[in-house]
Amino acid sequence: MANEVQQFDVVIIGGGPGGYAAALYGAAAGMNVALVERDKVGGTCLHRGCVPAKEFLETAHVRRTLEHASEFGITSGAVKVDFAVSQNRKNEIVDRLHKGLSGLLKGRKITIFEGTAQLGADQVVSVLDGADAGVVAKGTNVILAAGSVPRTLPGFEVDGTLVVTSDEFLALSALPSSAAVIGGGAIGCEFASMLADMGVKTTVLEGLPSILAGCDAEVAKVVERAFKKRGIDVRAGVTITGHKPGKKGTTVEIDGGEGVKVDMVVVSVGRRPRSEGLLGEGTGVELDERGFVVTDSYQRTANPHVFAVGDVVANSPQLAHVGFAEAIVAIKTMRDEPVIPVDYDRVPWAIYSNPEVAFCGLTEAAAKERGIDVVVKKDPFGGNSRAQIIGETDGVVKVIAEKRPDGTAGQILGVHMAGPWVTEQLGAGYFAVNWEATAEEAAALIQPHPSLSETFGETLLALAGRGLHVG
Amino acid sequence: MRRCSRSPDEDCTLADVTLPSLGESVTEGIITQWFKKVGDLVARDEPLFEVSTDKVDSEMPSPAAGVLVEILAGEGDTVETGARVAVIDESQSVATSSPDAPAPAGTASSAPPATAAPARLVSETLSNGVVVSPVVRRILSDGGVEAASVRGSGPGGTITRRDAERAVALGPTEEIVTPLSKGRQRMGAHMSVSSQSVPHGFVVAQFDAPIFERLREQGALTRDGFAVSEEIAVTVAAVRAIGEFEYLNATFDGDVLTRHRSVNVGLVRALPDDGMLVPVVHAAAGLTVRALARRVHDLDERLTTRNLTADDLMGGTFSVMRSPSEHTVLVAPIIIQPQVAVLSLGSLQHVPVVRRHDGADAIEIGTRLSLGLSFDHRVCEPVAAAAFLERVGELVAGLDVESEL
Repeated sequence: MANEVQQFDVVIIGGGPGGYAAALYGAAAGMNVALVERDKVGGTCLHRGCVPAKEFLETAHVRRTLEHASEFGITSGAVKVDFAVSQNRKNEIVDRLHKGLSGLLKGRKITIFEGTAQLGADQVVSVLDGADAGVVAKGTNVILAAGSVPRTLPGFEVDGTLVVTSDEFLALSALPSSAAVIGGGAIGCEFASMLADMGVKTTVLEGLPSILAGCDAEVAKVVERAFKKRGIDVRAGVTITGHKPGKKGTTVEIDGGEGVKVDMVVVSVGRRPRSEGLLGEGTGVELDERGFVVTDSYQRTANPHVFAVGDVVANSPQLAHVGFAEAIVAIKTMRDEPVIPVDYDRVPWAIYSNPEVAFCGLTEAAAKERGIDVVVKKDPFGGNSRAQIIGETDGVVKVIAEKRPDGTAGQILGVHMAGPWVTEQLGAGYFAVNWEATAEEAAALIQPHPSLSETFGETLLALAGRGLHVG
Repeated sequence: MRRCSRSPDEDCTLADVTLPSLGESVTEGIITQWFKKVGDLVARDEPLFEVSTDKVDSEMPSPAAGVLVEILAGEGDTVETGARVAVIDESQSVATSSPDAPAPAGTASSAPPATAAPARLVSETLSNGVVVSPVVRRILSDGGVEAASVRGSGPGGTITRRDAERAVALGPTEEIVTPLSKGRQRMGAHMSVSSQSVPHGFVVAQFDAPIFERLREQGALTRDGFAVSEEIAVTVAAVRAIGEFEYLNATFDGDVLTRHRSVNVGLVRALPDDGMLVPVVHAAAGLTVRALARRVHDLDERLTTRNLTADDLMGGTFSVMRSPSEHTVLVAPIIIQPQVAVLSLGSLQHVPVVRRHDGADAIEIGTRLSLGLSFDHRVCEPVAAAAFLERVGELVAGLDVESEL
């Protein structure tokens, strides 16, 4: 079948956050944009990732609030969970956001092709299957935004009931009574937190010595303690050898330890790039040994007319908001506009577990690894009036600054938070790190009282040499 | 003017801002700067944006008072005259606050006091578009270092705090690298072409000019109150003289010399830090000192208020350069192409002069006027140029102050 080649300023493969952001931003600049999506625009984030996960975590929050309502003198009947209703609410939210996004793309006159795309030579993209199979689109530039899929573990075949990944977990219509979460990273901790708050007996199994390995160690410890207080069985530094299904549920086997008998195993051991079949012959694009697309800091692949953004990019932190930022960098670069590349060392991170985790910049360990002398201050949320009012006092703010020759704290290198609503509080810390403020400069700014953000303010005051409440 | 379409419940009236005519010969301009951003209050006639043509940069006053709700043409966009460039909501006057202002965050005590103009927290950018963070900007400004002189080591060439501190440690900026202003770029392009393509000749003559003493005694004002400078007096004389030297009131393209019936005399004006402009008094032949003074006053006023149109700057056939300062002897000007000559005035000097009274020479205090003529040596030669200067000097001396003013 000979197909006419359609010409575009930019052809984008993948309609997740990286892809749709590139499409919207390019179209806003007046570019003629095509986007190829094999499933639904919005990608993993909207349909099988961030958004549904956060919706369920909010459901867990509501249940937690009801459980503690009597402490406020408010009582009602016993708390019951109809997870099918919860699932339905989540689906409605996702559908609304999906419709909104689709409308936005249409409003910007972006051509959407449905199907799986493959890049060939000379920036020619072919749609291999789906409703638009056979379409051939050539872009002056191409953006690869193919995203990622959950990694699986050998010996843990995903069946959607006994063993699930995030994909299946977020589509469940009923919750198990017990679950083991394999992998204590950001996604694993969010699932474990949500399950525990929904009344599921939960175990977290992590191969590394601590959960939340990418976070500052002290912050991770605070989360681990809070998890254990809520009855989550956190086992770090364990090696999992497999699992043995029983009559009901299965037993996860641990090397040299007692097995964990659960109704369901949630595998959350990271995500791999969806790059198989993405590249045809002669694309000039380079993949690393794990299948990620290699780019320079301006998101350019080895072929200067092919860019890559989002989870498929080597060393990108697999965060939707970083995908947005990379998309902007890619579009500006191809348009020869002034642009500052994304600095992966200083992007904001947010984990929506209970307690939440948010951070930006270097951890204490990373700073020391780089040979930087640091001054560190921290303030727990326990003494914060607002935290006591809302009844969520687990957490800490930790700020790391470069040590000056006279021993005082200089430029702020990292802000790390665990606690209530810290994902919404990180903004000030993000500015401090990225604007390279010193402790004094940031401490001179006022936080409202009473507010959760005072804990950050207190930490800064202490870091600047003299705190009100913190030493 | 139309009703607001966004929020039908709200009573708002929208006024379009269009790019006004910039002169008969000009159909488009480049928007170089917006002085207001969306959401800003703007008063009628307050400068709203700057538009640049190949002749002139003009500040455009706002045609309406209200809130700037939309900017339709960005900085750098080329816009045709008459096209819409912005929308102003006239229902929101200076008295009412912006409807989009966030509700006061709720501490119980009271609403926060209304603040004046918000502090400028926005990072400024270097000419290459690289953002300078507020912290870095402050370090540099405290240290007297220009951001443009610092080499950034951060992502995409951003200046990090460390870069800034290092630069400050090295001391205040001694070399500041900045691109030329648009006005200077325009001037430079023109002057380069002229000085490279035209063989310039230059002749200077000096005159005893007691006429200026008489003028000063008079108050140097016309009857209708406009100042009479030596530039105006000499220009009147030059315009009259040029009738006898037609090939100086001309344009030359390298092959063909075009003599002009009409004398359109350009007057060179410097712009602070932005090059120079040469507004033209069209059809100057036959003007008295009084009439010319009025015309020059009008041009100068519009130059100051940046209201000159492209037409004001076009069609010159001859130019005059006045003395730039009190003690300048004479400037040797570059010819404003395709014209063929430019008359240069030195400052008036009080000097001893030899005057003849009753057959005897005597030394007196006189007023010396220096005149120079830069001319295109392909069209004119020193003898003719000198003859022209002699004639101008003669006509200056013969000005009848009583009737001219």
